[in-house]
Amino acid sequence: MQIIFLPGLLCDGSVWAAQVEALRTVADVALADFSTQNSITAMAETALALREGPLVVVGHSMGARVALEMVRLAPGRVERLALLDTGAHPRREGEEASRQVMLDLADTQGMAALADRWLPPMVHEARVGDAALMEPLRAMVLRSTPEQHRRQIRALLDRPDARPLLPTITCPTLVMVGRQDRWSPLAQHEEIAAAIPGAKLVVIEDSGHMSPVEQPGAVTDALVEWLGLAPALRAAAHGRRTAMDTDGQDDGIPDRIPDIPLFDRKRSLRGYRLNKMAMGLAKPENRDAFRADEGAYLDRFGLSPEEKSAVMSRDWREMVRLGGNLFFILKISAVDPVRITEIGAHQAGMDHDAFLRERLGKK
Amino acid sequence: MAKLIGGLGTSHVPSIAAAIDKGLRDTPDWKPFFDGYVPGQEWVREHKPDVAVVIFNDHGNSFFLDKVPTFAVGCAEEYKPVDEGWGPRAIPPFRGAVDFSWHLVDTMVESRFDPMICQEIEVDHGIQVPMELFWGRPAAWPVKVVPIFVNVIQYPIPLPSRCYELGRVLRKAIESYDSDERFVVLGTGGLSHQLQGARAGFVNPTADRAFLRDIATDPDTLAAMSREKYVELFGSEGAELMMWLVMRGAMDRDVEVRHTHYFVPASMTGAGMIVLENKAAGDGRQAA
Repeated sequence: MQIIFLPGLLCDGSVWAAQVEALRTVADVALADFSTQNSITAMAETALALREGPLVVVGHSMGARVALEMVRLAPGRVERLALLDTGAHPRREGEEASRQVMLDLADTQGMAALADRWLPPMVHEARVGDAALMEPLRAMVLRSTPEQHRRQIRALLDRPDARPLLPTITCPTLVMVGRQDRWSPLAQHEEIAAAIPGAKLVVIEDSGHMSPVEQPGAVTDALVEWLGLAPALRAAAHGRRTAMDTDGQDDGIPDRIPDIPLFDRKRSLRGYRLNKMAMGLAKPENRDAFRADEGAYLDRFGLSPEEKSAVMSRDWREMVRLGGNLFFILKISAVDPVRITEIGAHQAGMDHDAFLRERLGKK
Repeated sequence: MAKLIGGLGTSHVPSIAAAIDKGLRDTPDWKPFFDGYVPGQEWVREHKPDVAVVIFNDHGNSFFLDKVPTFAVGCAEEYKPVDEGWGPRAIPPFRGAVDFSWHLVDTMVESRFDPMICQEIEVDHGIQVPMELFWGRPAAWPVKVVPIFVNVIQYPIPLPSRCYELGRVLRKAIESYDSDERFVVLGTGGLSHQLQGARAGFVNPTADRAFLRDIATDPDTLAAMSREKYVELFGSEGAELMMWLVMRGAMDRDVEVRHTHYFVPASMTGAGMIVLENKAAGDGRQAA
């Protein structure tokens, strides 16, 4: 799964830090940068060029307007769409004048003055004095420049009316908004969700306009659930310290495809003795020897204490981490019977019934 | 000259063999799986092939990691079923088609495929299961077999496009073989499954069903996909689906789909079957 995150006005990838951190283990995640374009269309083109093929597009505020533009430009590529704290309407009366006040402020008094004026209404009233929330946001605004601000305001003022597009959207769409978003209120999101066929609306409690940073856990959870990634994340949390990790005892090179221990040179070399021992069990006399004195049988193949311990405790996850390949180490189950699904559940870090249900779709 | 009368694709999950051995064919877990193969069995009964070229991978039972041929061709008079550690299975040995095997090896090398040549080798569930699924459990197999072993375990495994090309060479070998024997080609393995790592138990029915469709109508796209894409879509062990491309490469670009079957999960695997005939094969059907 390829997920593109799109930040809003004066924002950058830092607003998505929590979501990216959570999802990167199970998806190919990219952050769009809108610091140089002066139109919503150019921003959408930039984001579409980040990856080839189908995309999950997650946009916040101005980024969500860009997300809608991506759907207009390439409807076949956006397979899922999440719109956070945003709007679909074109420029409103008086908007240019009020935006001009902010442009002038940045020009005459600098970005710090702009941050002090612009940020407080963006967050939940109760959080305005919360330094842990506000300082990173202020630092983010200071990373921007009056020129970037001017380009983005130009893009926003010239934005297309996305309302006619909404009923044509066919991909699964999630609309999310902070309950206390004063900039783009809940009612506006109810309208957007109602206009998009099948769209799901999620309200983030105790949050203003900056929901990805104000309530990072709730926003992440909503995305994870909507994307169906909860089981994969659970598995990855188990796996991080096991099969995919090289654990510092190795060359430190991660697997080419996360979560998937391809049987490459590294694993083949590492697991050679372990796999050879297990293949020995194809012979009846070796099965007898294994049964009679397991430790002595393992010693015949020069297994390290770590490898011996993994085998003797039937720790399948650990055997795979040590380079064992199921095609070979499965022979252990010819001596000490265990179902392949139990071995699978063990590696996935799941209860056997849950494994059958969630992974294999058994009723 | 010999004639290619059809292309068959099937999973070769070892639990299928265990289910047959334990008499579980008609239990609720397995009946829908086995019932779906009945049309495939009827197809081989009706078309009576003389030789089955079976593309599969050994699972450490005949080649361990000490010697890993990328492609190997069996050139033996007989192939004994190997005891994989759970005791010998009550299935007859497979008769080889030695003369054709050597002709295939010649054709491959002349076409720049350089296989390992195996005159004595036992064969595991990779070929046993597909043969049982299509021919049942006869006292003696009614077809001769030509095993083609493909390494899909130890990386670097071959490219999917290379498997597809090998199929074209196989077709050339069949059609240049001086005989009136009727050939079928079996591509085996898959469908989606992953036995190892945190994603163990991964199955992808959507991708599996798309594969069963595309292997007939759009094999070029499947052949152009990367190994990583196979792993991503079908799981680390599901990448063995690329062996179906050898079968598909042996067939015409335009094929008729006679039967397909899909069932999930067979043990930990999305399992399936396909029966293909070349579009121009109507005369072959009548001859049968």
